[in-house]
Order: sequence, then C-alpha cells, then structure tokens
Amino acid sequence: MTAAALLASILVSLPEIIVIVGSSILLIGGQLLPKGKDALLVWASVAVVLLAALATFTLSGGAEPAYAGMFVADPFSIFFKSLFYLSILLTFLLSRNYADIEGIGGSEYYVLLLLALAGMMIMASATDLLSIYVGLELMVLCTYVLTGFLRRQQRSNEAALKYVILGAVSTGIFLYGVSLVYGLTGTTQLDRMAAAVGNDPLDQGLLLAVVFIVAGLVFKIGAVPFHMWVPDVYEGAPTTITAFMSVGPKAAGFAVILRVFLNPLVASSNVWIILAVIAVVTMALGSFVALVQDNFKRLLAYSSIAHAGFAILGIVAGGADGIASVMLYLLIYTFMNLGIFGAVIMMRNGNFSGEVIEDYSGFAKLHPGLALLMLLYLFSLAGIPPTAGFFAKFYVLVALVERGFVLLAVIAVLLSAVAAYFYIRIVMVMFMREPVRAFEPALTPLVGITLAVTAAGTIGIGLFPAWFLKLAQQSAFGG
Amino acid sequence: MAFPLLSLIVFVPAAGAAVVMLLRSDEAVRWAALGFTLLDVALAIAMLSGFNTGSSEMQFVEKHPWVPALSITFALGVDGISALFVFLTALLGSVSVLASWIAIDRKVKQFMVCLLAMQTLMLGVFTALDLFLFYVCWEAMLIPMYLIIGVWGGDGRVYAAFKFFLYTLAGSLLFLIGVIVLYFEGGRTFDILALMALDLPFDIQSWLFFAFLVAFAVKVPMVPLHTWLPDAHVQAPTAGSIILAGVLLKMGAYGFLRFSLPMLPEASVYYSTLMMALSALAIVYGGLLALAQDDLKKLVAYSSISHMGFVTLGIFALNPLGLQGSILQMFNHGVTTGALFLFVGLIYERTHSRSIADYGGLMKVAPVYTGFLALFVLSSMALPGTNAFVGELLVLSGGFAANLTLGAVAVLGALLSAAYLLGMYRKVALGPATVGARFKVRDVNGRELVAILPLAVFVLWVGFYPKPFLAIIDSSVTHLLQQVHDRGNGP
Repeated sequence: MTAAALLASILVSLPEIIVIVGSSILLIGGQLLPKGKDALLVWASVAVVLLAALATFTLSGGAEPAYAGMFVADPFSIFFKSLFYLSILLTFLLSRNYADIEGIGGSEYYVLLLLALAGMMIMASATDLLSIYVGLELMVLCTYVLTGFLRRQQRSNEAALKYVILGAVSTGIFLYGVSLVYGLTGTTQLDRMAAAVGNDPLDQGLLLAVVFIVAGLVFKIGAVPFHMWVPDVYEGAPTTITAFMSVGPKAAGFAVILRVFLNPLVASSNVWIILAVIAVVTMALGSFVALVQDNFKRLLAYSSIAHAGFAILGIVAGGADGIASVMLYLLIYTFMNLGIFGAVIMMRNGNFSGEVIEDYSGFAKLHPGLALLMLLYLFSLAGIPPTAGFFAKFYVLVALVERGFVLLAVIAVLLSAVAAYFYIRIVMVMFMREPVRAFEPALTPLVGITLAVTAAGTIGIGLFPAWFLKLAQQSAFGG
Repeated sequence: MAFPLLSLIVFVPAAGAAVVMLLRSDEAVRWAALGFTLLDVALAIAMLSGFNTGSSEMQFVEKHPWVPALSITFALGVDGISALFVFLTALLGSVSVLASWIAIDRKVKQFMVCLLAMQTLMLGVFTALDLFLFYVCWEAMLIPMYLIIGVWGGDGRVYAAFKFFLYTLAGSLLFLIGVIVLYFEGGRTFDILALMALDLPFDIQSWLFFAFLVAFAVKVPMVPLHTWLPDAHVQAPTAGSIILAGVLLKMGAYGFLRFSLPMLPEASVYYSTLMMALSALAIVYGGLLALAQDDLKKLVAYSSISHMGFVTLGIFALNPLGLQGSILQMFNHGVTTGALFLFVGLIYERTHSRSIADYGGLMKVAPVYTGFLALFVLSSMALPGTNAFVGELLVLSGGFAANLTLGAVAVLGALLSAAYLLGMYRKVALGPATVGARFKVRDVNGRELVAILPLAVFVLWVGFYPKPFLAIIDSSVTHLLQQVHDRGNGP
C-alpha cells in the first residue's frame, strides 16, 4: 500500500479514528478526574461523538473504498453511523442520573460505550468478512463488560456470564463460516466472493458456509433460534445499557446482515427461505412469550425480538425497497424504543425500580404528561397510526407485497395484532387502574431532552415520513 | 387555490383539542369543546349548502403531496355518499359534548381531547380520497376510542376496551394488506378515484373482497363478528356510545360503498347473495337478542346490529332503491340510535340503573323525556312519518327486487323491532309510576333539550320530506351502480 493510498484510507476512516483516540484520551483523563466531576465525562463523550459525526458528514459523498477493499464509506454506512450517533448520544443523556443512582459512574462506563460505538461503525463500513469480525468483536466485548456493570447485583453478573459464553460460541460459529468461505473461494471480500464462485450459486459447501455465517449474525440481533440470551441479558444489564443494546448494536448487526445477504452470491441462493422462516418464528415467539411477562424489561426484550423478526422480513423482500425498509425501520425503532426505555429509566428513583408493570398502575393520574408520552411510544411500538411505528411496518409490508410475498405479509400483520395486546396492556395499567403508591420520577433535564427528542421523532416521522423515507432510499444500495 | 373547506372541517376539532389542552377549568374546557364542535357543524352546513346535487363527481377536492416517494397524497373530497356523513359526524360531535357535560366529571380535559381527536379522525375517514390517508384515520381512531371506553366506561370497561381494540385491529390489518396489494395492482397509486377505474382479474377481486370484508364486517358489525359491540356499548360512557353507534358503525358500510363495490365490482356481484344472507341473519338474530334483553343499553346495542343489517342488505341488493335506502338508513340510524343512547344515558345519570325492570310509569314523572323517547322509539321501529320508515321502505323494496326470500326474512326483523321497542317503552314509560317511588327523577333540562331537539327535527324532517336528503345521494348512487354493473357481470 502506498503512502498516498494509506493517507486516503485514513481519511475515509477518520470518524472511527476520532472515536478510538477520543475514548483513549477519556480513559486516561477519566482516572485523573476528581470525584464529583462526572458531568464532565458525559460532555466530553458527547463532544467526541459530535466530532465524529462532523467528520462523517464532511466525508459524505460517493462510495469511497479504503484499506484495499476491506472498508468503505458510502451513504449506506453514513446512514447507519448517524443512527449509531443518535442512539449513543441519547444513551449518554439518559446515563448521567441513572449512573449516579446505581453508583456505576466512572470513566470506564463512557469509554466502553465509545469503544462499542467504534466497533459498530466499523461493522457498518466493513466490506470484508474479517473487518466485519474485528468490528463485531470490538462491539460485543464492550457490551459484555457493560452488561455486568452492576457488580453487586447477582443477576447482572449472571447476565454478563451468559452473554459472554453464548456470544463466544456464536462468534466461533461465525468464524467457522468465514473460514469455509475462504477455503472455497480464496477470498473474504464480499464482492470478490461472488466473482470467485462464478456460475454455480448452489454450491453445497458454500451454502453450508452461509448457514454458519447466518447463525453467527442472527445471534447478534437476537432472532430465533439464537434469542435465548436476550431476555436475561436485557433484564440483568443496567437499564441504560439495555436501552443502548436494543437499538445500537442491533442496528449494527442488521447493517452487516444487509451487506452480507444482499451480496449477489447470497442473494442468488435460496437463503431467503431460511430467513423467512427465521423471521416468522422470531415474530411469533417474541409476540406470544411477551404476553405473559410481568417485568417491563423482559417484556421489552421479547418485544425487541418480535421487532427484529419484522425487520428481517425487509431483508427477505430484498431489493432497494427492502433494504430501505429495514433501514427506516431501524431508525424509527431507535426513536420509539429509546423513548420507552427513557421512561423506564426515569422511573428508577430511590427504592423504586420501575421494572414491574404493575408499578405503573394509575401512572396517568399522577403524571398525565409523562403517561401520554409513554402512550405515544407504546402505540408506536404496536404499529398504530399516526405514529412512526406504523409507517415503519407499512413500508416493510409494501416491500414484501412488491416482491409477491403476500402470505408472509398476512402472517406478519396477524402476529403484530398479537403483539399489540401487550403494549396496550401497559397503557391499560397506566390509564385504567387506580394508583397504588405515589412516586416521583427522576426527570432530570437530560432525561427530559431525550424524551423530547424521541417523542418528536416518533410522532414527526409518523406524520411526515417523506423526508426520512427519501433519506433511507437514497442511502440504500443495490437500487 | 380554492378555499380549503374540507381541511377546515377536518382540522377544526383537532385545533379544538389543542386549545382544550391549554385550558385549566373544567367549565372552560366544556364550553371550548362545544364551541369548536358547533363551529364544525356550521362549516358542515356551509359545505352542504354549496354542494352540487346534480353531480356525481367529488367536490371541494383538495390535493397536496404527502409522501411523494410512495405517491401518497393528502387528498380530500366529498360526493353524495360521504357528504351526509360529514354532516352527521359534525352534528353528533356537538351532541356528544352536550351528553357528557355532567356525565363526565373526572379528567374532563382528557376526555374532551379524546372526543375531539376522534372527531377529526372520523371526518378524515369520510373525506379521504387517498387510501393511505383513509387507513391512517381509520386505524388511528382506535387510540382515542380505546381510552374513551377504557378510562371513562363502566365496571367492565377494561375487558370491553380490549375486546374492541383487538377485534378492530385484527380486522383492519388484513385490510391493510389488501390496500397494499391494490397499490401495486393500480400501478403504485393510493388515489381512490384511480383505483376505482381498475379492472382487476376476478380471483384477485375475490381475494381482496374477503380481506376487505373482514375489516368492514367487524366495524358494521355483521354477525358473527359482532360480539365486541354489546360489550363496548354497555361499558362506554354515553358520548362513546353515541359516537360508536352514530358514526363508527357507519364506517364499515361506508367501506363497502367506497371500496368494495366500485373497486371490486365482479366480486361484489358474485358474492351479493352471500352478503344479503348474512345481512338477513344479522337482522333477525340481532332482533331476537334485543328481545331478550333487560338492560336498556344492551337492547339498543343489539337493535343496532339488527338495523345495520338493513343497511348492508340494501347495499348488496345492488339496485338504486336498495342503495339509496341504505345510505339514508345509515344517516337515520345515526340520528335515531344516537338519540336512543343519549336517552339511556340521561336516565342512567338520574337513577344509576339500566335495568328495564327497575322502571315503570316514567311518563308521570318525566313527561317531556318520555314524549321525546316515544318519538325516537317510533322512529327506530320505522313508523310512517319518521325517518327510518323512508329508509327501511327503500331498503326492503330494493331487497325484494334482488332476492324475494331474503327480503321476506328481513321483514321479520321489522316485526321484531316493533316487538322489542314497544315492549321496552311499555315497561319503562307506561303503567303505575313505580319508578317515582324508587328514584328521584327530574325531567330533562334546557341543556339536554338542546342536544335532543336537532335530532328530533331530523327524525321528522327526513320522515315527512326526504327529498333534499335523497337529492344529495341520488347522482352518486346512480354513478356507483353504473360502475358496478358495467364491469361486474359475473366471472
């Protein structure tokens, strides 16, 4: 690689470099920070992310390959990176007060989040199975630690352990698939793989390799049959980390899946059948099991499983509309899910956990405004118009029907009717029960900002989806 | 650009909801809600008076791009079929505000916001010329209605609200898939008028017909998808019942008229006998159930099922008399049944009992109340001189012309309605004044009279001089039947 090519590559990956350098500085600087100055950490982290965002947007243009074809900065990756910035910024805002209450402040918390962000960014830009692997591992290693961050709580430790072991297994499976691909085609680059196989897309060995890669990736987005870790990890992790994991790393997983699956090699095989089955089973399991949950975080875990299933349908549909539908879905999901998690995090105050659904009895009577916000997020998650959640589902269905998968679309809507039940059950508890006890939500200005941003996104995209739809369509590749 | 009258009609209640949110005292909230709904009535009257009855075209059309990438537009317009419902919705909006004046005594502000939001969405359904817009309004109504039933309803309100929500949601989701299929069949458009001009193959029409049927039949509701209705009605507060019976039930029938018939003409003709049979079943079954009720509200709720059976019977008779009759009957049912629910609500506020057995001799205690009640009871059983007589006569003539047997079955329903309504009136109003001994009942006051009078006027107006109402409907019905029969003659 010549010096000029290296310089060009460095420029293309500048946002990632900023985040990694920034987090390293924070890691050292955080140790020197006197106690009680934690707020500084939040703002420094926010500054790092904003700087990276600035670099990303100044780089935006056509597709810029770098590092000998292992990495690319294209509109697709920029879309996902923006989504990551949004989710991590809102997580920072939510964390400040929560970290105080739980006693988990300290620079490591923010540094790990930033490093996870760097991993996600690499995933979004990776065009080689190996660079995907590097990004993936960087991200999951950070989330393993963050999951166990409530050191004194048994369930947090347990969740982290479970996550590490299962995650390591899934990584092994993924790597096995990668090695098979390399053995069969002699390359790990996504676009060269297709060329290497040439005209035999139904090569048995390759299909096996794809199945292994699928299994590894599906684990990361929590789809059936690799979903078992999700409820325990979501419940055990600090709620802010749960909120983050449900949107950021999940979107990163989808970014990789879109890149791998819409590769001509995979697209020409019949892998969509596997995906369709995974999608339907995932939705069904997520929706039905959520019906019997009493813990809010577990319920949201199953809800996120169901939502992952719905988004996979967009990948099944394929084509430019299919890709764009998944991207828009993830963007909208970020707003509404961070919104509802923001509300749950806000409940954590004093000896009140806000994790049991019954705790919300009569919430509307005590705090009508906040209850209305939660109602908005819940109906959006259920996919009822005029909220953004409806448009997200609608666009996936449009992509499905366009490709002729009408039966899949019918199954999807019927399962989302099942899912609607548990969202409106929470609305019922908030609005139609009498309050049991009074409590004061920890509504700090930072949490307030998060709720305002997510609410604006949830209702704004619902009423005026045009701009966001265009953005997703322009950022999708393969059109 | 022309004056956006329809947008104004649709968004005035929404603006009202926004204003109401800012107000502090309950009294101010009530007056503001009443003011905005009355303004909406005035606008609706302006719309009717400017309506050209000679034309079957869409009028007052507005069109703005909304989501250009999917060619979704914000398009509004009314023809003879929707114009009457826009007015009815506006009228019942004010009546509902008056009906909840003292009946709703907690969270008044939130209630009025729900009511006004509901009104905007209902008006959106009746004026939408874009299928996506229609669906958004159709589905979004679930949120305020769920809250109205679930927060301000009776003891079993939570169960009723869930049932209402899940039934309608499950029904309309298939409709959503149908909408998307139509979008692609029509060459990527949601424009309702463009979709009406489509000539789809019979098997696709057939498939879509049943996808639509589930959604519309749940809303009407047709037997056997009706079981949510009595629960919802009994538990809902009076205003909720008025809206449910007066407007919400019309939307299913409106869906048949607006989508099933013109867009799927072959399937509509092919399945018309099935639909008429289901309607006749609803008429008789609903009537029999009403006959067996002791709860006043349940009785009116089941009678609604029976009466809406006449509406769908008229629609699928697919002839001018049947169609005219059913549209007029939808309007009549909104007025009459809306009024009956109002009356049940009024007496319930006074006695806190809905059991017919608790009443008797009400006429001696509350003569004005029972006098007006008699008018609406007679209207509901379609006595000549009242609105429902005109509508039911037209529907039955159309029904007989289309299918003699089913027409004859439907007449049975008319007999049944006389039985349960007169029976109810006798037990409640006539006889010795046992009710006076048990409860302290005062007669209707001025505010209540204001809510009742316009409805009474329409009962007699349509009953004695239906011409202006039929004139509004007429050209659109002719046009619709032309659309159906030109392209619908069998597979």
